[in-house]
Amino acid sequence: MEAAISSILFYLFAAIAVLSAFGVVASRNPVTSAMCMAVSFASTAAVLFCMGAQFLGIVQIIVYAGAILVLFLFVVMMLDVKSEESTLSRLPRAIVGVVIAGIFAGMVTKAALLLPGATEGKCPVAALCCDEACTTDTGATDKFGGPLPALKETDTKEISGTKALGETLFTQYNIAFVILSFALLAGTVGAVALGRKIRKD
Amino acid sequence: MTPLAHYLILSGILFSIGLAGVLIRKNIIVVFMCLEMMLSAANISLVAFSRAQGTEGVPVYDAQVLALFVVAIAAAEVAIGLALIVAMFRARKSVESTAITSLKD
Amino acid sequence: MIQNLPWLFLLLPLAVAAIDWLFFKKCACCAAALSILSALGTFGLCIAYLTGLCTGTPDVYTWMPIATEGMPSLSLGLLMDPLAMRMMLVVTGIGLLVHIFSLGYMKGDTSNHSRYFAGLSIFMFSMTMIVLADNLAMTFIGWEMVGFSSYLLIGHWFNKESAADAAKKAFITNRVGDFGFLIGILLTMGVFGTLSFSEMGTGTEAIPTAVLTATVLCLFCGAIGKSAQFPLHVWLPDAMEGPTPVSALIHAATMVAAGVYMMVRLQVSMGEGAFTETACLVIAGVGAITAVLAALMAVQQDDIKRVLAYSTLSQLGYMIMAVGLLAGEAAMFHLYTHAWFKALLFLGAGAIIVRCHHEQDIWKMGGLGNRMPITTVCFLMGTFALIAIPGFSGFFSKELILDAALEKCPFFFWVGAGVAALTTFYMARLCIITFCGSARAHGAEHAKDGGFTMSMPLLLLAVMAVISGFGFVADYLVPFEGFHAHGFELGLPFYVSMGALVVGLLLAFVIYGCGKRSKDPLSGNFISKSLRERLYIDKFYDKGIIGILQECGARTIEFADSAIIRGLFAQGAAWFTGKIGMLLSWIQGGSLRAYSLIIGIGVIFVIFLLAYTFPSL
Repeated sequence: MEAAISSILFYLFAAIAVLSAFGVVASRNPVTSAMCMAVSFASTAAVLFCMGAQFLGIVQIIVYAGAILVLFLFVVMMLDVKSEESTLSRLPRAIVGVVIAGIFAGMVTKAALLLPGATEGKCPVAALCCDEACTTDTGATDKFGGPLPALKETDTKEISGTKALGETLFTQYNIAFVILSFALLAGTVGAVALGRKIRKD
Repeated sequence: MTPLAHYLILSGILFSIGLAGVLIRKNIIVVFMCLEMMLSAANISLVAFSRAQGTEGVPVYDAQVLALFVVAIAAAEVAIGLALIVAMFRARKSVESTAITSLKD
Repeated sequence: MIQNLPWLFLLLPLAVAAIDWLFFKKCACCAAALSILSALGTFGLCIAYLTGLCTGTPDVYTWMPIATEGMPSLSLGLLMDPLAMRMMLVVTGIGLLVHIFSLGYMKGDTSNHSRYFAGLSIFMFSMTMIVLADNLAMTFIGWEMVGFSSYLLIGHWFNKESAADAAKKAFITNRVGDFGFLIGILLTMGVFGTLSFSEMGTGTEAIPTAVLTATVLCLFCGAIGKSAQFPLHVWLPDAMEGPTPVSALIHAATMVAAGVYMMVRLQVSMGEGAFTETACLVIAGVGAITAVLAALMAVQQDDIKRVLAYSTLSQLGYMIMAVGLLAGEAAMFHLYTHAWFKALLFLGAGAIIVRCHHEQDIWKMGGLGNRMPITTVCFLMGTFALIAIPGFSGFFSKELILDAALEKCPFFFWVGAGVAALTTFYMARLCIITFCGSARAHGAEHAKDGGFTMSMPLLLLAVMAVISGFGFVADYLVPFEGFHAHGFELGLPFYVSMGALVVGLLLAFVIYGCGKRSKDPLSGNFISKSLRERLYIDKFYDKGIIGILQECGARTIEFADSAIIRGLFAQGAAWFTGKIGMLLSWIQGGSLRAYSLIIGIGVIFVIFLLAYTFPSL
């Protein structure tokens, strides 16, 4: 039952994410785009929650939907960007873009469905009725195929997997983490340098 | 339970929408937003694979660490990118990608 | 160790040339002194070997091993037989005198003397290489090296266009002959299986006549080039553009005689059997043609050095004729006497030229007999030797050749007699115009004898020109194994040559009187004109062969250049690149979205490859 609900929630948030992403691309006003992006990021975070990656989901909300979005909005406001012209005038380009993106999406979908056992998951509505059949790990002949394996039961007080993620991050990927922080520093310095007013002399 | 393929398809569709935005939109700020969407779409794939590759219910955390890095780099990228956009706006009084063609001439 | 002393013959001049060139570029005196010392050293060494003070054959070094079975390795060795050593005496002796004479001759000349003396030393080195080589490969090296040093020395005054042209002409004309020589060397290698002179000549009988003929004639091509035989004689008169001592050493006494020396060397080592009848006929014929043509051309030359040059040609023709008549002994005898008296004549001419302020036209000289007594006497000694007055060295050697000719083939005897008459005529003409009468130009009025460095070599050479034909000198010095001077007999050859002498002298005196004329009475008609134009042979080469070759070459190169290189490669490539660039430039539209579009297409393509085409990936 829980799994079925989680499944339904996944499809719900996936739909919201896709629709709001469409909004980002389609809206003529950058502010609208930014707001749509916020929705899209939030639903993406929800999808991450569905997969049990709570920490990443939270990071997604804080960094993307929080910091980055605010930055975008700030810049949009600061630069006082006008809306683009109507979609009709850029129709040929839009068609080309949609066609290419469509081909890409089609190929990715096809590739995903080509994975062994990819289609063996049950319909979530049917799973509501018979949750035993759904929760059992059936038909996963390969690691790529079938429904995702259930997470190990953990202490409910801690957010699942955060501790393990932190351990991996600060042991195995410690050096990479440090280097990453330098990259962030460089980014900050670079942004400051670029943002300076260039003297005309 | 949702199969892996559906996560991947979601990721692919979000990515494609981002790609379409990059291709279609003229406003560089929006193009940049679309780029960010593409990055976060890729994150979905990473986490999904992390789950799928896990054994005995323990995900492979390497992939999640990578996703974390992607988020961090995305933040840095946004900082730089927006600074560039601001600089470009100062120089050209425009944020349209059609305005930056000086490499051609 | 001591038996390797002869390598000094080669190393001394080579080292000196290198030192002159590298270190004494600015110090002409040091360079000259060093060169003269090296010439003196080799001369002394040569004397030591001839008198038996030193003996022994040096080691033979393998230079280039050849892996093929049955093929000889190329080795470096010296052949120290009497033929070589006595030839060495001629080379080093005249070389030494010319070195000394050069001191006086080059005084007051503004060109770089270090270069000049370095050139002389390098010539001594290469000539020694030819003479002492114990195999044909080494001879060939020396052969090319003398060509090179001759090129350097002819072109010593390279600022003068005619000298530079003459140097090139000499070098290139020699290349034609050398090409045949090289083929001849390879043929020898194939036919005899060896290049070494001491191993040649075995199993000659087994070789087909045609092959032998071809081999000998190909080798003879080298001699044609180097000894300036018809039809490659054209370079020698032009080579007179070089300094006169160089002409004396290289273009009269030694280098041009190298062809004769080489042919005689081959005759000795291959055996006379290798010189087939056809080959002999061709060789003798070429020699005779050269002798006659050159003598004819000498008759109407006005340049004192050119008269001597044609005379040299004619005498070389004599020697080659003797080689063709299988009279190597006579050829070498004549080579030897000729070297002395022709060097004398050239040095004498050099002294006259210097004293007449570098005037070479005999019609602007005259009356020099009173003003330059030493030079005149020496020059006359040389002339007497050349026109074969009995008792002078040339007489004996010419007699020997005529004897051989009469014995083998009377036709060549009469040719030789005719040439002797012509020789007498043009030499008498030269002497009358130059020494008798009065000065016809300002330069000749104040001429006087040169200093010690110029007179001493002349006197020594004059002595040799007189005595070198007699048995007591010739028996020891003529570069031929077991040579014995025959003296002469009162026979047909003697009478004929005396007749030729008298006819030539009489004609000259009748026509030119006592040198009072200021213009050649023979000039003006067609024959004189064509003789002055060297029978149009040079013109034919220039306009005919070289012109056509250049035209063809120029057209070919022009076509290759304009059509292929410029048209196809340069402009074609540029056009192609331009078109491709225009085709591709729409991609580089400068539009950000176009770029991202292309990236998108690329990504799709990559995914297609990865996920669909190679599923195993």
